[in-house]
Amino acid sequence: MADLSALPGGKSPWQSAARFGLYTLLLIFAAYYILPLIVVLSTSLKDLDEIRNGTLLSLPSEINFDAWGYAWNEACIGVSCTGLKPYFWNSVAMTIPAVLISTLLGALTGYSLTKFKFKGANLIFAMILFGCFIPFQVVLLPMAQSLGYLRIANTVPGLVLVHIVYGLPFTVLFFRNYYVNIPDDLIKAATIDGAGFFMIFWRIMLPLSPPIIVVTIIWQFTQIWNDFLFGASFTTGGGQPVTVALNNLVNTTTGVKRYNVDMAAALITAAPTLVVYVLAGRYFVRGLTAGSVKG
Amino acid sequence: MASLSIQNVKKSYGAIEVLKGIDLDLEDGEFLVLLGPSGCGKSTLLNMIAGLDTITDGEILIDQNVVNDVHPKDRDIAMVFQSYALYPNMSVARNIGFGLEMRKVTKEDREKRVDEAARMLQIDHLSDRKPAQLSGGQRQRVAMGRALVRDPEIFLFDEPLSNLDAKLRVEMRTEIKKLHQRLGTTMVYVTHDQIEAMTLASRIAILREGEVQQFASPQEVYEKPANMYVAGFVGSPPMNFVPAAVVSEGGKLGVSIERTANGNRSSVFLALPNDRQDIGDWVGRNVILGIRPETLTHRSDAEISLNKGLQAFDCQVEVLEPTGADTLTYIELGGREVIARVNPYNTTEPGETMAFMVDMGKASLFDPKTELRI
Repeated sequence: MADLSALPGGKSPWQSAARFGLYTLLLIFAAYYILPLIVVLSTSLKDLDEIRNGTLLSLPSEINFDAWGYAWNEACIGVSCTGLKPYFWNSVAMTIPAVLISTLLGALTGYSLTKFKFKGANLIFAMILFGCFIPFQVVLLPMAQSLGYLRIANTVPGLVLVHIVYGLPFTVLFFRNYYVNIPDDLIKAATIDGAGFFMIFWRIMLPLSPPIIVVTIIWQFTQIWNDFLFGASFTTGGGQPVTVALNNLVNTTTGVKRYNVDMAAALITAAPTLVVYVLAGRYFVRGLTAGSVKG
Repeated sequence: MASLSIQNVKKSYGAIEVLKGIDLDLEDGEFLVLLGPSGCGKSTLLNMIAGLDTITDGEILIDQNVVNDVHPKDRDIAMVFQSYALYPNMSVARNIGFGLEMRKVTKEDREKRVDEAARMLQIDHLSDRKPAQLSGGQRQRVAMGRALVRDPEIFLFDEPLSNLDAKLRVEMRTEIKKLHQRLGTTMVYVTHDQIEAMTLASRIAILREGEVQQFASPQEVYEKPANMYVAGFVGSPPMNFVPAAVVSEGGKLGVSIERTANGNRSSVFLALPNDRQDIGDWVGRNVILGIRPETLTHRSDAEISLNKGLQAFDCQVEVLEPTGADTLTYIELGGREVIARVNPYNTTEPGETMAFMVDMGKASLFDPKTELRI
């Protein structure tokens, strides 16, 4: 890509001044956005005395991970003082299968909606798409009833099912729009070569899909891990995901309020989505813009 | 190798009839070209032969067996696509071998056959590359290799050369012709390029709006077009169409055409050869005279004395377009612009009158109403 700032005739004093102003503004905004994270991180590394005596913005005098350990192993959530650990694993056990299954089903559905077009395929796609716009609050009661009938209320598999169902509109949308740009001739050629529906899916479509798989996984992982509403509505006690547990941890007041533990717990809860984004983020941007420019 | 028979095949999408009853019969080892403009239904017909599209009505037979309800993979056909349709995630060798792999051919046998096909198409040095690393011509060869390796009964080509640049297109055209001569397999080839059709085909089927206009050998299509559409579609520059009246003069039948010579507008009589005396019914009526540009050239008395079909006349020259080998000379006959192919050393300046001769033995006559050949 051409470097626009390196074009000739762009070095007048006014332009330099404008550039200076621009960068100053950008730095101010960057500081504004990063400040909460710095406060949370530095508070989580202080001990309680330092929090009480120091200011909010001061950096910890020594790095101290006690609060992290406490949040993980000992903090009281409601009446049980187990720390976040079991709830964190609940979230892992909920998120990983829900992400993988909804991604795989989205890929299969997107594939059949574009490459094995049947009568009414577009109507079905429009109806699935409609699911993206249904507020989750609307479905809480019917979903609670369904989970009750299926006898998986207040369990991790129950949450997995809920998240698969409400993740599908998005995963289908992503894969359908990605696959619609893959030429139909590929499918025709493979059909003549003797490959069937699933063979074409495994051998041709999926190998072409990594960009959109990454986009879908990041999207679904963030949505499902960060979900609070379904977790709070359909689980109680030991079956809760970490987001609900975090809320309860912060709201449980026994004696003194441990701000450092609250902050550490918040960071532990947020960490997995950050890790996923850092590891796969560049594919995310690439996948979202894939196909926009021929190349 | 196989024969192919298409019997009254129709295709409709809802109320829209795309193919209106196609009848074509192909002998074993023939090279059929389906020629026509975009939207004439030629690719639809090819897809139906391949089994990638359903048949609304009629029958398609491969080797006397009706294949209407046979799955594409069981028809023993191979297809080369305009977009090449190479699997982007597989190497050249895997691309070529995919069809064999799906048919559970053993690995050794597969490798041997892939290698053979690759060598035949001179792409054996590329076998580890991915399609993205290949040039257009190389991709085309891989696509052909994929068809070749299966050793099918019938090859189907869907505008295989239209994504290549002009030079490569001519090269690959020859390559396909050689391939057909070597393998002798039945081939069906779809194109909108009349030169490809003429050079490759053993028989051409010209389609227009879902109907076959003419189904004949390239030479017959060129010399005896069934109607004005075919006459105008095949040949470059296209056939000249001149409004004319059929008259009888001195006991001979011929046509009378208006033209300007030496500043005067007058009619000229061009006699038809004796074997065209069958059009007696048309005397006094108007027809369209079809003349190929190369049958209309500068007057040569020596040639006229040898060929009785040659008729001479004078006409004013309008525009000259030199092409090197010939100069395309534009004249006006019967109110229409007409192109003559003239030797560059026999041309006259525009505006002057020049002596021409036309080979009436090679001329076509069309009914102005039905546009059919008379």
